[in-house]
Amino acid sequence: MTARPTPESGSNAAALPALLRRHSMLIILIAFYILVAFTGRGFLSIDNQLNILRTVAVPGMIAFGMTLVIIVGEIDLSVGSMVAVSACITAWMVRLLSGGAMEPSVLVVMAAMVIALGFAALIGMFNGFLRRRIGVPTFISSLAMMATLAGVANLITGGSPIESFPSWYYIIGSGRFLGVPVPVYLLGLAFAFTFILTNYTALGREIYAVGGNIEAARLSGINVWRTKTICLVITCVFAAIGGIVYSSLINSGNSSIARGLELEVISACIIGGVSLFGGKGSIWGAFIGVLFLGVLLNAMTLWGFNPYAQQVVKGALILGAVFVNFAIERR
Amino acid sequence: MAAIDLRLQGLTRHYGAVRALDDFSHVFTGGQVHALIGKNGSGKSTFIKMISGATPPSRGTIWLGDRPVSLRSPQEALQAGIVTVHQELSLVPGLSVAENIFLGRLPKRGGLIDWSALHSRASALLQEMGAAEIDPHQPVETLSVGRQQVVEIVKASSLDPRILLLDEPTSALASHEVEQLFGLVRKLKARGVTIIYISHRLAELPQIADTVTALRDGIHAGSLPIAEATPPRILDMMFGDLPPLDRPDHSPGLEPLLEVRNLRLAPWIEDVSFTLHKGEVLGIAGMLGSGRTEILHTIFGARAQDAGHILLDGREIGTLSLPARKEAGLAYASEDRKQAGLVLDHAIHTNLVTAPLRRIAQRGLTWMGLERPHVDRQIADLQIKVSDARLPVSSLSGGNQQKVVVGNWLNTAPRVLLLDEPGRGVDVQAKRQIYQIIWDQAARGLSSIVVSTELEDLAECCDRVLVLRDGRITAEFAGTGLDPKSLYAATMAQPEGTRA
Repeated sequence: MTARPTPESGSNAAALPALLRRHSMLIILIAFYILVAFTGRGFLSIDNQLNILRTVAVPGMIAFGMTLVIIVGEIDLSVGSMVAVSACITAWMVRLLSGGAMEPSVLVVMAAMVIALGFAALIGMFNGFLRRRIGVPTFISSLAMMATLAGVANLITGGSPIESFPSWYYIIGSGRFLGVPVPVYLLGLAFAFTFILTNYTALGREIYAVGGNIEAARLSGINVWRTKTICLVITCVFAAIGGIVYSSLINSGNSSIARGLELEVISACIIGGVSLFGGKGSIWGAFIGVLFLGVLLNAMTLWGFNPYAQQVVKGALILGAVFVNFAIERR
Repeated sequence: MAAIDLRLQGLTRHYGAVRALDDFSHVFTGGQVHALIGKNGSGKSTFIKMISGATPPSRGTIWLGDRPVSLRSPQEALQAGIVTVHQELSLVPGLSVAENIFLGRLPKRGGLIDWSALHSRASALLQEMGAAEIDPHQPVETLSVGRQQVVEIVKASSLDPRILLLDEPTSALASHEVEQLFGLVRKLKARGVTIIYISHRLAELPQIADTVTALRDGIHAGSLPIAEATPPRILDMMFGDLPPLDRPDHSPGLEPLLEVRNLRLAPWIEDVSFTLHKGEVLGIAGMLGSGRTEILHTIFGARAQDAGHILLDGREIGTLSLPARKEAGLAYASEDRKQAGLVLDHAIHTNLVTAPLRRIAQRGLTWMGLERPHVDRQIADLQIKVSDARLPVSSLSGGNQQKVVVGNWLNTAPRVLLLDEPGRGVDVQAKRQIYQIIWDQAARGLSSIVVSTELEDLAECCDRVLVLRDGRITAEFAGTGLDPKSLYAATMAQPEGTRA
């Protein structure tokens, strides 16, 4: 959460509340975690903990990219469709390049992945281009992109899943290394990448400046459009990696996966205190938001909540987080 | 309708300890046009606010004829017959001329808007005011600024004013539009309306005003009938006796650094050429809307010129991108630090290293420790009052915020510093400190271009000042010839006969 230190906050009396406010979401997460630990059967088991991490790996990864996009003052509503379309492209390309072989070679699979990632990067650049040249707000262009990409995914698969992967392909989504699911490593890598980017690179600092005041950033000699485009590209590529993970999990290219994932991703960012007005937020915060959503969904399952009721709770939570987000900005 | 006097007695307005207007007493005779003049910050806006009911006076009385009135809101002022036409037009761009004139009091029949009555009344009014060529059906946004100003005054006259306040109505108008506006003013005067006419353009006063009243530092500096109001007497009223300038003895080199050649930038700049020398502080004076900011934007690459060349060390930079010009050594501190200079929510630290990020970063990587020496150096050099550089820059006073804007750019080790209204919204002491910074930098060989509407500031801070008028450089002042009065005369007052 954003904490605005006031000149008085240096004194010890005021320091504690400021500290609490800054880490309020972390404190809520810990409190909730403890609550679930006592009430959810098997919550604390290592298997369940790893399961939570594995579940949030893909939305979490995309949320780190989305955090960059929101900080820079844009939004990408098409990440769910991007996940689906890149899963389909990967499967389709594997089939095409291997000529429908039963056990396509590693090289073919790699090439298919590169094509899917390249496609995602191009879409990200195109989004940036639309924003710059035509001035379409990404809220609109990515909404259109959401529908377009979903359609492309359906066109590719013709409605039925493409099952073209070699037998080892499951490893990406369901494999484990040292007991930890492979997607969790990808989540860790995405975290490290975006964390270093935002905190320790000139580009990262420029992302904040552009989102905080685009005119000031432009007049500071920052290439604002390049900065925005880079963020959009990173998010698209992360979504495509997510698509590859999902295609491995279900061992096929299926156009109906990841429907509505953008909602989960954006709400994780908001819960994590990323300001919808741009310029403020952190990867660490987004991570806490992602974990919170993961723990909440896991807890509701352990508590035996009706899945439809789970949706309602999730929606209410997002509304609450948005409310807090706006309330902080209006102060 | 009989003309009515506007009598002001001891009118005073404090803002905290600041007296924006102090003990103003004067009788504005009924049925005349009274020009009210004064430089920026002399109390004109406060005067308008009190007469138009926007701000109540701290002390003093406003009399209409022999009746004291209390104006606690714009509505009460309107009811008393005082109508104000503000400098920023208050028309709704998407609505028609007729709708704008009758906004809030559209004629109705059976609860529905009576469009035919609306349009016939509007065209009658326009005709009566000599503006028959304006079609009442036309959306206001399709009219020129001059026509919009006419609609605004027709709207004001439809309210049957007894007192009409016109706040710089000609500042954005072309000369033929000014003529039409004067026609309107004369018609209203003939009807017995008492008109207070606020203007910066001294040359037009003899054409329209009956008296001239000057404000200086919140005080009534004097009133003259127009026949006695010669330009020197007006300037004396506005500026008083000026204290001698305390510019440091500083002689810039003669080596040219930045050359602007035949710059054209429609609609502001026709043809502007000048040379900035090494270590020189060059001022550009011009009225609002004269294109001062736009010149700086063009030099800096934030806006493309229509024609002309910009050379740094004899090398063309007019085609480079803004980041490339920053790289080449240009720096620009915006006039609007809140909108275009700072990220207010971000830390002072961050705001001091935004422009030089790529210089400071090592292979694209940066961190607080790497940036801190740059932050600390500017805080010390510019004497920015900061308790903790991690606090948001919005926690600083205006003067200190302005120093952060300048410090951000000094961290890029610039060769040319472009300063847009560096003294805006900061107190006198902070202003002095900012000028001291500019001089210190000049002594180290940094060249600056300062643009401002504050002519006294330019005269105080610059080695040389160019006057920008009608898209050209029309005068140049340097050395002993550089003083606010002559600058003012060159910027605002136009010789008789040049305006057609």
